Amino acid sequence: MSMQAEVIKQIKFGIFSQDQIKKLSVAKLTVPDTYNEDGYPIDGGLLDQRLGVIDPGLVCKTCGGRAKTCPGHFGHIELVRPVIHSEFAKIINMLLQATCQKCHRILLNNEQIGIFKEAMSKEIESEVAAGDLASDKHAEQAMLKKLKSVKKCPHCQTVQEKLKFSMPTYFYLGERRLKPDEIRDMLAKINDDDLTLIGVDPRTSRPEALVLNALLVPPVDVRPSITLETGERSEDDLTHKLVDIMRINQRLEQNINAGAPQIIIDDLWELLQYHVTTYFNNETSGIPPARHRSGRALKTIAQRLKGKEGRFRYNLSGKRVNYSARTVISVDPAIDIDEVGVPSAIAEKLTVPFYVTEWNLEAAKKLLERNEYPMVLNVVALDGKRKRILDTNKEELIKELKPGYILERQLRDGDIALFNRQPSLHRISIMAHRVKVLPGKTFRITYPATAPYNADFDGDEMNLHIPQTLEAQAEAKYLMAVQNQIFSPRDGAVIIANGWDGVIGTYLLTQDDSYMTKEDAEHLLSTAGIRELPKHSKNGMYSGKSVFSMLLPKGLDFEVPQGNGKFVIKDGELVEGVVDKKMYGEGRSNKLFAAIVMGYGFAALQDFLTKSSRLSYAFTTLFGVTIGVKEYMLTETLAKDKESTLADTQGRVKGLIEQYKSKKLEPLLGLTLRQSLEQTIMVELDLARGKAIQMLNKNTDESNFAMLMANSGARANILNMEQMSMFLGQQATREGGRIKRGYYTNRVVPHIAKNDSSSGAHGFVSNGFVDGLTPIEMIMHAVGGRGTVIQKGLLTQRSGYLQRRLANALQDYYVLHDNSVRDVNNNVIETIYGGDAIDPTKVEFSKQKKE
Amino acid sequence: MKMAKQEYDSSVQAGEPVGVIAAQSLGEPGTQMVLRTFHMVGAAATAIATSGLPRIIELLDAKKVPSSPIMRVYLKESYAKSFAKADEIANKISEIKMGSVMRRAVENFSKGKILIILNAQSMQAMDLTARQVAARLGKELGVEARVGEHGNIIVSTHTKNLKEVRAITVKATRSIVNGIEGAGRAMVTQAKDGEFYIESAGSNIEPVMQVEGVDASRIYTNDLFATYRVFGIEAARNTLVLELKKTLEDQDISVNDRHISLIADAMTADGTIQSIGRHGLVGRKESVFAKAAFEETVKHLINAAAFGQIDYMRGVTENILVGKQIPLGTGSVKLTIKRKEGKKK
Repeated sequence: MSMQAEVIKQIKFGIFSQDQIKKLSVAKLTVPDTYNEDGYPIDGGLLDQRLGVIDPGLVCKTCGGRAKTCPGHFGHIELVRPVIHSEFAKIINMLLQATCQKCHRILLNNEQIGIFKEAMSKEIESEVAAGDLASDKHAEQAMLKKLKSVKKCPHCQTVQEKLKFSMPTYFYLGERRLKPDEIRDMLAKINDDDLTLIGVDPRTSRPEALVLNALLVPPVDVRPSITLETGERSEDDLTHKLVDIMRINQRLEQNINAGAPQIIIDDLWELLQYHVTTYFNNETSGIPPARHRSGRALKTIAQRLKGKEGRFRYNLSGKRVNYSARTVISVDPAIDIDEVGVPSAIAEKLTVPFYVTEWNLEAAKKLLERNEYPMVLNVVALDGKRKRILDTNKEELIKELKPGYILERQLRDGDIALFNRQPSLHRISIMAHRVKVLPGKTFRITYPATAPYNADFDGDEMNLHIPQTLEAQAEAKYLMAVQNQIFSPRDGAVIIANGWDGVIGTYLLTQDDSYMTKEDAEHLLSTAGIRELPKHSKNGMYSGKSVFSMLLPKGLDFEVPQGNGKFVIKDGELVEGVVDKKMYGEGRSNKLFAAIVMGYGFAALQDFLTKSSRLSYAFTTLFGVTIGVKEYMLTETLAKDKESTLADTQGRVKGLIEQYKSKKLEPLLGLTLRQSLEQTIMVELDLARGKAIQMLNKNTDESNFAMLMANSGARANILNMEQMSMFLGQQATREGGRIKRGYYTNRVVPHIAKNDSSSGAHGFVSNGFVDGLTPIEMIMHAVGGRGTVIQKGLLTQRSGYLQRRLANALQDYYVLHDNSVRDVNNNVIETIYGGDAIDPTKVEFSKQKKE
Repeated sequence: MKMAKQEYDSSVQAGEPVGVIAAQSLGEPGTQMVLRTFHMVGAAATAIATSGLPRIIELLDAKKVPSSPIMRVYLKESYAKSFAKADEIANKISEIKMGSVMRRAVENFSKGKILIILNAQSMQAMDLTARQVAARLGKELGVEARVGEHGNIIVSTHTKNLKEVRAITVKATRSIVNGIEGAGRAMVTQAKDGEFYIESAGSNIEPVMQVEGVDASRIYTNDLFATYRVFGIEAARNTLVLELKKTLEDQDISVNDRHISLIADAMTADGTIQSIGRHGLVGRKESVFAKAAFEETVKHLINAAAFGQIDYMRGVTENILVGKQIPLGTGSVKLTIKRKEGKKK
């Protein structure tokens, strides 16, 4: 671990002047080629050894370094005729428009200059601390726009000719084309004071440098050539481009020296401009991109920086890291929620630094001596050099070990690791877990911990990172630990909680009529890790509620309404209510967790969560919960219910169609008659589903496991059950209406009469999955399914971009000690965060407090 | 055991990067909105308004005009109690276009006259008389329009030029014949407390506020910029909050108000409405690197070089780029007293 030697306080941008380029350059390049026949870099060529070396074995002629140590050095090409830096053409235009064509003063009269200077100094004064350049930039921009329309120079009274700029690099004064050298002369004559007024810092950005005489050539390290397996060399796109520039430059020079006609010289000059333009940006509008021999457009400087795969977003905002691992995840109910199961193969590879001090020297030596897991893999000496431990150097290393050394030892139980699943949509997509080394090849997590990651085990992979400094480990452990993320920062709702078997078990266990023998109670409680029995029993039988109460913290008092009744915990005893998903699962309805945290802390909540999940799994096993097709078979009553509901609905729809045809239908506000019909039919069909659910609720046996599953909140809801056992209902389209378009005119499939408005003709499926769909229904269902897939793809894209924009816009805002929200320039965004300085993650705590 | 008991404070901690948390809180459920649009059970009368993610994006983009504008017009006490009086005002506001009350237009080019045949049924449905329509049409077109036989309307143009007559016909069919331009179809609704107010599927609050009987102070529109123009930035901020909240609630997504208000405050902090994106908040950032790392990389770098700008490395992005600690969270605190000598080498 090396410390930061220097801190970057600010970075100033500027333009290299022609002199600076020549000073910076270590070599003037003259040969438009790369290697000679022997495969050696040509002197004065584009891979001149003075520009640095990338081939192992060669020595840099400038610094004497080798491939690894030489940072590379800039060279330059002298252009025989100047060209415009195309990326700056707009800026050049702005400057030319703002200044006189004869005396090159700014087109403001002295009075205006005075006003402007005063305004600028005031702005600068008031914003010394903020350093906010944005606001005066705006004033300047507005001023500069006006200068375009100034007809006569206020200084030398010259009438201004019309200056035209045409993309990408052409300038015309009146009808006459301005050549780059003329433009440079004009820019050079603008004085420093005027430039300052325009907003340009003349110390670093003299505009004449925007017309290039000398072109800076980046070191070979920036454009390494690759050797293919065939031994063929392949040059970087930038090198190719530079070769082009040099070739044309050479030809231009020859022609000039030979006294060629002006037309030929101008053409070559134009070509040189083209190559320089595409060298900077190969996507410049208005000109065809330069292409590789294969026809692929070259990636030049702008393309290297731009976009998602560009230098900024790909290499600077996000960086590749060491000390990380990735594999498939799977579930392990036996570990704790804040643990992560790490395959031993990974644990043997990843390392954690052990910082040797004078106090742990002995322990360090002992660790270093080990020959099997967990052992030390590398030693970092005082000079920062990392040495791999081998049998041959081990003895020696043990001897030289002293404080300040760092041992990199293998990962073991209890180490802190960051665990992450992409897409990382919110901060809890990365949490800190304790390592638990396990056999197997997958990472293991508990079910409750999947929710924040939005993970499941159908092949998902996740990444593991090992923090390497003590500071990082401490921050991870205290700020990012799983048990500290139980409440969502979005709305304070519980996001880490039991589900599935973890809910259905407690639901069944805490029913009013749930009683069990002593043996069962002992079994359940010991599985949960409790070695006591409830104090009260009834004829030797223990109530489920009392067994569950053993998990609750002693002395907890809690009461919320549940259904028509109440859910009451008194003095750590569950006296009334059922523990279902609403009470202790994910979501805002879970108030129990907040109560436990308020009274007993996060550790107690974690303990409760773990124990209750084990209890629930054990009880589910004991009770036996299973579903099959039988759960979805309709009883006779329900079959009748289904028929009557469908008949009823279809009758009504028919009625509506009749009304429509006889024009008796009341049009809905703002809709045409046809639209009104569609709307009312849709509502009717939606109601049918609701009615079916009611029937199902009323006439299904309570012991039906599908029903049980829905009621406890373990998984699925009654709608899913209804769609399987009764009818699927209306299939929607992306437009939100009924399915109306198909391949055919006025009907969805050819098996339906044209212009049929009835329910079945537009995607209403009146069979459930148990009965099976008719072929037409199946097509309707497929139409709906396809729509869902398309919409999902479309909107994930949109929401992804939205999130990127939001994060970029708001990332600098934080809460100051006075509870105000500031940006990093200390501007106030909110005087008090949210009006009350309450953390949304902890809203539930404040509510608990009031009660 | 008392030691284990802890009191948890619910206040924010200094340094908390509330901006990012707000961004994530609104962005993360974006993917959920996608799937939920399907389960929308259409409440019959409501117009199909932009909702869900598209509406959120529209709001954060600070679009000048909402794609489905809505207005709620409250009335002064003396009007708000009677349906008839409220309806009268609604009729004054409700925007009706010629096209929706006519059957067809017949042009007589030689005479330069246009005969507009009205649709009696829709005229009745909209409570309009031919005379009203003719009067308004004449005013809108600036030519004579009168009621002719069978309750039809005759427009007399000043020209016999074929092209010009046709142009007037087109203009006439698109012309509004009742109410306030842009106000949309207005309807009287009754609030829970019995008060009558007007809901409208369009928005143009400036003229509506002038209508006799309208309580201008309580008028509501989902048009951000109209609110900003008429009531100022604070009102616009509130509209933004209300609209974001409503849209999220419709999708059954719970996001804490503090996140929403932070976003609204950020968008309105400088006294104007700034969008979330390259033309708004991000584009206005001071840091060259922060802008370059977001969008239009080359443009920002070129500008910075041409003007000789300085990046003061105060923000998050800039510091990540150079590998420094970010100035938020645990990175926002520093040691006040530094040890004289550095770490032992």
